[in-house]
Amino acid sequence: MEFLRPESLGEALAARAAHPEAVPLAGGTDVMVELNFARRRPAALLDLTRVGELTGWHADGGTVRVGAGVTYAELTGERASGGQTALGRLLPGLAMAARTVGSPQIRNRGTIGGNLGSASPAGDCHPVLLASGASVEAASVRGRRQVPIDDFFTGVKRNALAPDELITAVLVPAPGGPEQFAKIGTRNAMVIAVAAFAIVLDPVRRRVGTGIGSAAPTPVRAVAAERLLAGALAGDGLWESRGPLPEQVVTEFGQAVSAAASPIDDVRGTAGYRKQALAVLASRTLGWAWRDYRAAGQQAGRG
Amino acid sequence: MTSMFGEPIARVEDDRLLRGEGAYLDDLGHDALAAAFVRSPHAHAVIRDIDVSGALDAAGLVAIYTHEDLPGRVGEPLPLLIPHPALTHGRTGYPLAAAEVNHVGEPVVMVVATDRYLAEDAAERIVVDYDPLPAVVGVDAARAAEHLVHPDVPGNVAAHLVQANGDAAAAVAAAPHRLELDLYIERSASTPLEGRGVLARWDTESRRLRIWTSTQTSTGVRAAVAAKLGLALADVDVITPDVGGGFGVKIVHPWPEEVLVPWAAMTLGRPVKFTEDRSEHFVASAHERGQRHQVRVGFDDDGRILGLDVTFWHDNGAYIPYGVIVPIITSTQLLGPYKPGAYRVEFSSLYTNTVIVTPYRGAGRPQGAFVMERTMDAIAAELDLDRTLVRERNFIQPGEMPYDHGLIFQDGRPLIYDSGDYPAALARLKGLIGWDEFEAVRRAARAEGRRVGIGLACYVEGTGVGPYEGAHVVVETSGKVRVATGLTSQGQGHQTVFAQIAADELGVPITDVEVVTGDTRAFGYAVGTFASRAAVMSGSAVALAARAARAKAIRVAAAALEASPDDMEIVDGVVRVKGDPGSGIALGTVAVLSNPLRYAFDEAARAATQFVGGDLSTPPVAEGDEPGIEGREYFSPVRSTFASGMHAAIVETDPDTAEVKVLRYCVVHDCGTLINPRIVEGQIHGGVAQGVGGALYEKMAYDETGQLQNASFMDFLMPYVSEVPERIEIDHLETPSPLNPLGIKGAGEAGVIPGSAVIAAAIEDAEGFPITSMPISPSDLFELRRRHAASGETANASQTASVNRAG
Repeated sequence: MEFLRPESLGEALAARAAHPEAVPLAGGTDVMVELNFARRRPAALLDLTRVGELTGWHADGGTVRVGAGVTYAELTGERASGGQTALGRLLPGLAMAARTVGSPQIRNRGTIGGNLGSASPAGDCHPVLLASGASVEAASVRGRRQVPIDDFFTGVKRNALAPDELITAVLVPAPGGPEQFAKIGTRNAMVIAVAAFAIVLDPVRRRVGTGIGSAAPTPVRAVAAERLLAGALAGDGLWESRGPLPEQVVTEFGQAVSAAASPIDDVRGTAGYRKQALAVLASRTLGWAWRDYRAAGQQAGRG
Repeated sequence: MTSMFGEPIARVEDDRLLRGEGAYLDDLGHDALAAAFVRSPHAHAVIRDIDVSGALDAAGLVAIYTHEDLPGRVGEPLPLLIPHPALTHGRTGYPLAAAEVNHVGEPVVMVVATDRYLAEDAAERIVVDYDPLPAVVGVDAARAAEHLVHPDVPGNVAAHLVQANGDAAAAVAAAPHRLELDLYIERSASTPLEGRGVLARWDTESRRLRIWTSTQTSTGVRAAVAAKLGLALADVDVITPDVGGGFGVKIVHPWPEEVLVPWAAMTLGRPVKFTEDRSEHFVASAHERGQRHQVRVGFDDDGRILGLDVTFWHDNGAYIPYGVIVPIITSTQLLGPYKPGAYRVEFSSLYTNTVIVTPYRGAGRPQGAFVMERTMDAIAAELDLDRTLVRERNFIQPGEMPYDHGLIFQDGRPLIYDSGDYPAALARLKGLIGWDEFEAVRRAARAEGRRVGIGLACYVEGTGVGPYEGAHVVVETSGKVRVATGLTSQGQGHQTVFAQIAADELGVPITDVEVVTGDTRAFGYAVGTFASRAAVMSGSAVALAARAARAKAIRVAAAALEASPDDMEIVDGVVRVKGDPGSGIALGTVAVLSNPLRYAFDEAARAATQFVGGDLSTPPVAEGDEPGIEGREYFSPVRSTFASGMHAAIVETDPDTAEVKVLRYCVVHDCGTLINPRIVEGQIHGGVAQGVGGALYEKMAYDETGQLQNASFMDFLMPYVSEVPERIEIDHLETPSPLNPLGIKGAGEAGVIPGSAVIAAAIEDAEGFPITSMPISPSDLFELRRRHAASGETANASQTASVNRAG
């Protein structure tokens, strides 16, 4: 097995073009599992951990550009000394999702770019990225492009990257409102999700975003549920009034999210349970997000 | 000096283990060649051809072995360790498959290379041509016997056993109330953090074999390997290094690798090592627990059981090297603390194309407790009686001890309980968890929209099974005491408790006692560590051996001091006349005096040489006496001693997500006299955690072709600290055993036994419909809710299709 270790993005893209069969390696938390289980014997590994251009993040106007090599630990925004980093405050939905990933060791290794590269239906970042309307920045020796997240996941563990492309960053619109993420597994911690859900409320654009994990061949949005909720919020003037959400809206939203999923039965749970879990996760996260929105309004009112 | 026995002293092992200074199998033998195995990818197949040609030029390759390369007994089927008259169709596997494979993971080819990576690389290049056969997976498929695992075993039945005390069928038929239950426990596995592993060195000059293996029985491995390799027992040493958990999976021996690795080391004249990896452990070691049970019970208006008739089917996997120990334990121990009017139990042990079964901590008792306790709850529901009341009315009373059940236990001896006080234990448990106040707790939770339930379960556990263990206690001339016993340690704290026993018996500080276990060089006769027997068996042997050493020390010191042995005592390592601290001789000096010498090799030895004096008219070593202060004694009880306990739990079930949270977990535990309460509580904590795992998480998800779908820790879930209740509330009852010198009973397995029973009871209480199958995941509970909602059940209707009123 060849092991390629580029030191810069230029070298990495050249190596990627020259060795399209090489499997990119970021934190290795997915790739090494597959190698261990002998599910994969790639001819070459393309180690990206030395490529400085992939690390770090910056906010640019309304968009946060998160380098592909940013780890879950960085996304959680938790400082070892306590307190929260600027990135964690800026992207609370991704921080929540990152906190549910594996163990501290896994969060130190795994990266957002690697998560997207694996494109697992159970990837924890994916529902938040779908809900917030992010884009994936891909690069090759041919140049750079942005792939809207809605077009990125093309099948089970498949994505829209060309064979010579690498993920360089994720572009996330800075949230103008509350974000929530929740997942359910058989165990409380360190478990592959039975179902996951993210919601983003954008009061500025009057937009509702959703993302579903582990309940379809790819991560998916619940588009009908988004429309239903956005319609209800607009129709009742709730964006402005920040009044309590009608119980019926919450229930219907949960049902619409559940209807958007096409889960399977497997060792982690039945399809029926996944649909039920999604309805519960959607209703609960909506409740939390709306609570946050109302609380923010009261604070703004006082301030 | 205060007595050490009964003190909750910290484990002497922990400092070393917590610092990472333990030496497990894979920490040894860095100079050894590495073995890797080509294992069957099929659950059931005929081997047509093995083509190793592609691997012959692999880097670092030393040797490739198939069944055909193994000479004589080395290649023959592994022993059936525990024969039983009911085991009419015993089949065991070959170290390397001969013509057929019977489960995924069965070893087919052994590769030896200069390191493990190269061995695995070479193994990947070996092509085995299989002709797949239909696989038999699970109890139901084995019973249906549409296909056979072994063509010469009709109905897939390895063993069939019936035991009875009275005419249970007639008693059930004549009873005023009758119920039938169908109760199921899934396959699971103990998954110790350290898998199996073995290292062997053949000394070409002394022609002796030395084996290190991660086992629960070093003497067992020694005897089995010596027999396989045609070596004298005296030419084989087996040493157990630190072992990262056994839980029963390492009591089976010899594993294929335990034969093959020593044989390869002899053949190649070089050390060879095998370390099982996690993926291998799931498919190449052992599982347990898979059983389906049918219960017919008849009882009177008060809930007293008049007749209990149980039939069950045990999934023993592809082979049955450990015999029918697990189903025998279920069939006898499901009786728990109760005395049904008549009892009949019948089981069939069935072959399937899955990994073999070995005892897993609890060893058939979790299934038995589940069956009995679910039955008790069903009786209480049928009669609308409090669940504790029904149990009380069926208890064996303290005055009825010893209580003979009229059955034969797993050790081939009568099932006679030696002691226990079940009514007292239940009273304590009710107080501990607040049983009588729970309805108020339930109402308060309901008012908050929360759903909670309470359950309890009782068990009795036969511990300390024979045949024997021994111990050797030596007082060194330095005054230090060396204790050796043959059984092995897997982290239980034996170094601590055996030292506590020896220190008290000999009157020495515990820091002067050093304990060696599981090393055939130090002690050659032993059985092993299983069945919660180490404290009872070796603990008793250590006490007896220390008493013998003490008697000798007093005799020698008394002679030197010209005092009567009856007037002597040993205090803080000094043998002295009672109450006269100035009179004493240090134990080390006594050891010097006990060994008449010709040669003085140091100052202390001068005191024992021939011109020092003494009675010149008698031999230096009296007739029948021996040099040295030593004791070597064996303990062999007439039968097992029966520990007991009762657990109660309060759980909360999420009405929406069906998640189950254990809010409180209470344990009343009786293992006789406590040697070290801290270690017993540690055993209970670990057992309860494993019980929670068995109840809510652990299962072996085989598909219908015999592929294990969750063969990794990503999907085979163990409970973390986040799943185990924050505080396990424990109360001890101490009913001493009359069957051993210390009054002790085993404690190693207890914590796990009622886990599934108690959590099922609490979930049932929260949900209002019967729980008849464990483990239960949120998804399972959700599907049960759907089924009961669909069948029009209400929360108040307590009986359903799986609990049928009979007659």
